[in-house]
Amino acid sequence: MTLKGGTSQACAACKYQRRRCTAECLLAPYFPPDQPKIFQNAHKLFGVKNILKILEKLDPEQKAAAMWSIIYEANERDRDPAHGCLGKICQLRYQIWHLEQELHSVHTHLEICRQHHHQQQQISSNMPHHDQHVTSQLERGMAPPSNALPLLSDHTTAQAYNAMPGLAVTQHEAYSNNTNDAYDAVVFMDSKDNNNVGNPLWAQYPYSTTNNSENNNNSSMAIQSQMVVSQPLDVQQQVVQDCDEMPFFMDDRQSFADSKEAYESSSEESVLKDTTQSLDPVADIELKNAAACFSLTSVTAATDHK
Amino acid sequence: MASSSYSNSPCAACKFLRRKCMPDCIFAPYFPPEEPQKFANVHKIFGASNVSKLLNEVLPHQREDAVNSLAYEAEARMKDPVYGCVGAISVLQRQVIRLQKELDATNADLMRYACNHEMPPSQSERRNNNNMGGSSHHFGQNSGGLYFACPWSTDHDPCGDQRGGGGNM
Repeated sequence: MTLKGGTSQACAACKYQRRRCTAECLLAPYFPPDQPKIFQNAHKLFGVKNILKILEKLDPEQKAAAMWSIIYEANERDRDPAHGCLGKICQLRYQIWHLEQELHSVHTHLEICRQHHHQQQQISSNMPHHDQHVTSQLERGMAPPSNALPLLSDHTTAQAYNAMPGLAVTQHEAYSNNTNDAYDAVVFMDSKDNNNVGNPLWAQYPYSTTNNSENNNNSSMAIQSQMVVSQPLDVQQQVVQDCDEMPFFMDDRQSFADSKEAYESSSEESVLKDTTQSLDPVADIELKNAAACFSLTSVTAATDHK
Repeated sequence: MASSSYSNSPCAACKFLRRKCMPDCIFAPYFPPEEPQKFANVHKIFGASNVSKLLNEVLPHQREDAVNSLAYEAEARMKDPVYGCVGAISVLQRQVIRLQKELDATNADLMRYACNHEMPPSQSERRNNNNMGGSSHHFGQNSGGLYFACPWSTDHDPCGDQRGGGGNM
């Protein structure tokens, strides 16, 4: 349908409705005639009447943004009729949760590396020169093997998640509890291999507080602020907790020192070492004390031989 | 007013529309009479006819999800007539981009430690460098994103950055 006496084509909205598209057509700027699908989606979800009702309440400068969001919402609904924009929101929240978990894990690793670096610097500065060989061996023992990082990541992730005080499962605030199954269905549709948590999409995230400053001036943020707001988490405290809960490096260093001494010492020491490690509950206390004295003596002797 | 065979009172939709609630009413399972505002919002934004058509198009086991998502979007649009729930999407997408950048930078620091055992630049230095500019090319895993950019005005861009022209249409 074309305008009378004009060459411009009717907009997609007027074409669809088979009516005359005048110069005053409110929808013409937003529904070009070469993209009929856009209008069809918007019409299918909202209807022309409802779109016009929304537009008439807005200021002129807000109409373009409103139409853009209406079209976006309609397109999302066309793409996913069952979930629409809510499916998109759930997907993004899951992505954010995943990224935050990963970020926390990497920060923890980085902190551990920094602490090791600092300790190594202290050791190398404090130890005398003839002990440098031992120090280098210890360094090798302290350095985490690269293949251990994924294990550490999993452990740290589990520990960090369990220790986060701000994490809580929130529910959609508008409606009754019988809607949660629907939301859970949306969650499990998007989550793939996350078996550690029950419902991460509605969890509160400790890293989200930095973004709350962006939410202050827009009423549209009221909704996501209810979803995204979380309690601040002391990241440093969390990192320290994780380090304390992970004896990985301390155990390695100690075990390496023990194994090295066993290798360089006599066979008697190794026998004694086995004895001290015995789990015989009837072990004599005197024998243990003697073993301790002998161990201290053997370390000194081994060191003197260097 | 007659009630459905499964309840003594008509559903919220039929109450609102002042009509007889039949046993096969498509709204009845999802709009209980105890939640009148739910249907009122949905009806105001989308209209009962559109909702009914949409429910008939989806599979029966998806209808509850569909109703809940429509109710959510309707409430969001009531609270924010300009952006509705799309404002939330743009905020979340920006958050994803920010987190991805931070993760990339932190991983780079970790790699430097692993390779060189050197102290990487401090966190504040890195954030200052990132704020100066930088691309959003890391944000690529999110399927689709806001695939339809606002073509009429560059002043109103709730998504922060426009990607591409028209959409998947």
